[in-house]
Amino acid sequence: MLHFARFAATRAVMALVTLVIVSLIVFSLMELVPGDCAERYLAYKNTQGSAITLADIAAERARLGLDQPFLTRWTSWLAGAFRGDFGDSCILRVDIAQLLGDKFWISLWICLGALFLAYMIAIPVGIISAASRNPYLNNSLRVVSYLGLAMPNFLLALMVMLVSTVYFGETLTGLFSPEYKEAPWSVDRVLDLLKHAWLPVFILGWSATAFALQTVRALMSDEIGKLYVTAAAARGLYGRRLLWRYPARHALGPIVNSLGFDLNRIFNELPIVALILTLTEAGSLLLEALARSNDQQLAGAIIFLLTASIVTLNFATDILLAVIDPRVRKSILR
Amino acid sequence: MTAPSQTAKEAYFTASQRQLIWARFKKQRAAMVAATVLVVLILSGLFAPFLSPYDPTVAGRDKDYLNGAPQVPKFCDKNGCSLRPFLHTVTRERSLATNFRWVEKVNEDERRYVQFFVQGDSYKLFGFIPGNIHLFGMDQGYVHLFGTDSAGKDIFSRTLHAVWTSLQVGTLGVLISFVLALAIGGIAGYYGGMIDSVIQMVTDAVRTIPSIPLFMAIAAFIPPEWSAETRFFVITLILGLVGWPTLARRVRTHLLTERNQEYVLAAQLCGASPSHIIRRHLLPSFTSYIIVDLVISFPYVVLSETALSFIGLGLKDPVNSLGVMLQNVTKADVLLNYQWYFIPVLFFIALVMAFVFVGDGLRDAADPYSESRK
Repeated sequence: MLHFARFAATRAVMALVTLVIVSLIVFSLMELVPGDCAERYLAYKNTQGSAITLADIAAERARLGLDQPFLTRWTSWLAGAFRGDFGDSCILRVDIAQLLGDKFWISLWICLGALFLAYMIAIPVGIISAASRNPYLNNSLRVVSYLGLAMPNFLLALMVMLVSTVYFGETLTGLFSPEYKEAPWSVDRVLDLLKHAWLPVFILGWSATAFALQTVRALMSDEIGKLYVTAAAARGLYGRRLLWRYPARHALGPIVNSLGFDLNRIFNELPIVALILTLTEAGSLLLEALARSNDQQLAGAIIFLLTASIVTLNFATDILLAVIDPRVRKSILR
Repeated sequence: MTAPSQTAKEAYFTASQRQLIWARFKKQRAAMVAATVLVVLILSGLFAPFLSPYDPTVAGRDKDYLNGAPQVPKFCDKNGCSLRPFLHTVTRERSLATNFRWVEKVNEDERRYVQFFVQGDSYKLFGFIPGNIHLFGMDQGYVHLFGTDSAGKDIFSRTLHAVWTSLQVGTLGVLISFVLALAIGGIAGYYGGMIDSVIQMVTDAVRTIPSIPLFMAIAAFIPPEWSAETRFFVITLILGLVGWPTLARRVRTHLLTERNQEYVLAAQLCGASPSHIIRRHLLPSFTSYIIVDLVISFPYVVLSETALSFIGLGLKDPVNSLGVMLQNVTKADVLLNYQWYFIPVLFFIALVMAFVFVGDGLRDAADPYSESRK
C-alpha cells in the first residue's frame, strides 16, 4: 500500500511539473501579444471619449502589476491558476473564473461524453473486426474509420447543418432552448441541455471513434496472434468468452493509456464545432477571446484549463491502470 | 524447384529496399487507387492555372452571375445534338416582379459552345512561367462548372487553386516540423540520460496542449494588416512549429530501440565506426518510417490550416484555400440556397483520404515483417 501511495505521489508530482511547463508556455504566449492589458483597456476608454496620456497607461500598468518582472508575474499567475483564479479579462473587465464558470464544465462534460461514446462504439466493433476474417466487414470498417479521419468534425458539422436545413428546415444549433438560456440550474434545464447536447457529442465523437476504432483493432489483432490465446483456444475456449477473457484484457492497458490524448484531440475540434453549431461554452468563448478581441488573459486561462483537464485525466488513467492491471501493480509493488 | 521461380527468388533476395517496398505497395489495391487519386490531385493542383478557366481571385470574377448555380455543358437539347458541348444563354433578373431574388431565364435557342485551349486571364505557371492559355473556356460568356460565389468568382477555379495551396501549406509545414523533430528527437535519442529526460518532459508538456487552440492563440497575434503572402508563410511556419512533438517522439523512440539492436552490436563488434553505423545501418532502418510518418502527418497539417482559415485566423483572400472558401457557409442563406459552395469539400475529403490510404499502404509496405505475419 505504501508503494502504491509512493507511485501515486510520483505521478502527481509529474503531472504538476507538466502543468508548470504548460503554464510557462501559455504565459509566454500571452506576453508575446502586441500590446498589453493596460493599453487595451485605455484604448477602450479612448473610444468612449475620455482623453488618455502615457502617464495613464503607466498608472494602469502599475495597478495591474504589469510593471513587475516576468518571473514575478508568471509565478503569481501560476499561483492564481492553481486556485482557479485567473484575474480579470482584458476586454470584458469581468472576473474570468466567473465568466467561464459553468461554460467550462459544460464543455468538459460534452467532450467526456464524446469520448465515452467513442469507446462504447469502438471497443466492441474493434474487437469484432480484429477477430473476424470477413474481408467485406473489415474493408468497410476501414473505409468508415478513414472517413472519420478524413472528414474533420467541423466539416461533418457543416454537413449536418446543410442536411438539417435543407431537409428538415431546422437548424440544430445552440445548447439551450431560449427559455432556459439564462435560467438557474434545475432539473428541467439539465434535461433541456441533454436534448441539445447529443448533436455536439455525436459530432465530436465521430472522429474520436475513428481513432479509437483503429487503436482497438490494431491492439486486438496484435494480441490475438499470440500464443497464450492459441493455448486458451486449445483448452476449448471459443468465441466471446475467449476474446473477452484473454486478448481483450491485455489490450485494455494501452487503450486506457491513450484516453488523455483522445481528449486532447476532441478539445482540438471543440472551438470550431462550437462556432458552427453556435454553442455557448468555453470553446466558443475561446474563439471570441482570440478572433475578435485579442483578449490574451481569457485565452490563456482557457488553454490552461483545457490542458489541466487533459493532465488530470492522464493522471487518473495512470492510477486506474495500476489498479486494474496486475502487471503494472506488481511492478510498482516490487 | 523450377527455373523461373529460382530467378524470381533471386530477384527477391537481391532487390533493394526501395524495390521491395514498391513490390509490396503494388499489391495493395486500396493504396494503389489512393496513390492514383493523389497523383491526379497533385497534378491538377500543379497545373491549376492552366486547367481552371478563370483567375480564382476577384480579377476573374463574372459580375453578371453572382451566387450562380453550377453549369454543366451538354451535348443535346430540343433543337438537336452537337459534338461540341454547349450551354444555353442565361438572363438573370432581379426586380419587384421576382420579389427581389435572382431569377434565371434559360434561353434554349441560343447556344454558347465550349472551346478548348482558349486565351484568357494571364497567369504564371509554377510561379514563373507566364501564360494565358486555358484548357477550356467559352466562345462567349463564362462557364462555371461548380457555380460561383457571392463575388462571382468561379468555384471550380478556386477549388483547383485551393488544392495547390493546401499542398504547399502541407509540404512546408511538414518539412518545418520534420526538421525540428529530427533535431530535437535526434538529440534526445542520441544522448539519452538526463538530456533525454528533460527534452521528453518538455515534449510531453507541449503535446498535452491541444494544438488547435494553441494555433489559434498564436495566429491571433498576426497583425491583420500583413499581406496575404506574408500571412501564408507565417501560418505555415506556425503549423510547423506546433506540429513537431509527435514526430520528435517517434524519432527518439526509434533511435533508442534501434541503437540497442543486435545488428548494431554486430557492426560494433566488427569494428565499425559510429559514423559508419549511423550512415549504413541506423539511417536506412529509419528512412522508411520517417517517410511514412511524413505522409501520415501531412493531412493533419492541411486540415489544421483549413480549420484556422475557416474561423478567420488563417489565410485570407486573395489566397485560395478550402478554409477561406468555406468561411461564409454557415449562413442560413448559403445553406438553403447555394449548396454548391460545398462542392470543394468533396475534393478535400478525397485529398485527405488519399493521403491517409497511401500513408497506411506505405507503412505496411515498409514493414519487412508484414508478409510473414499474414
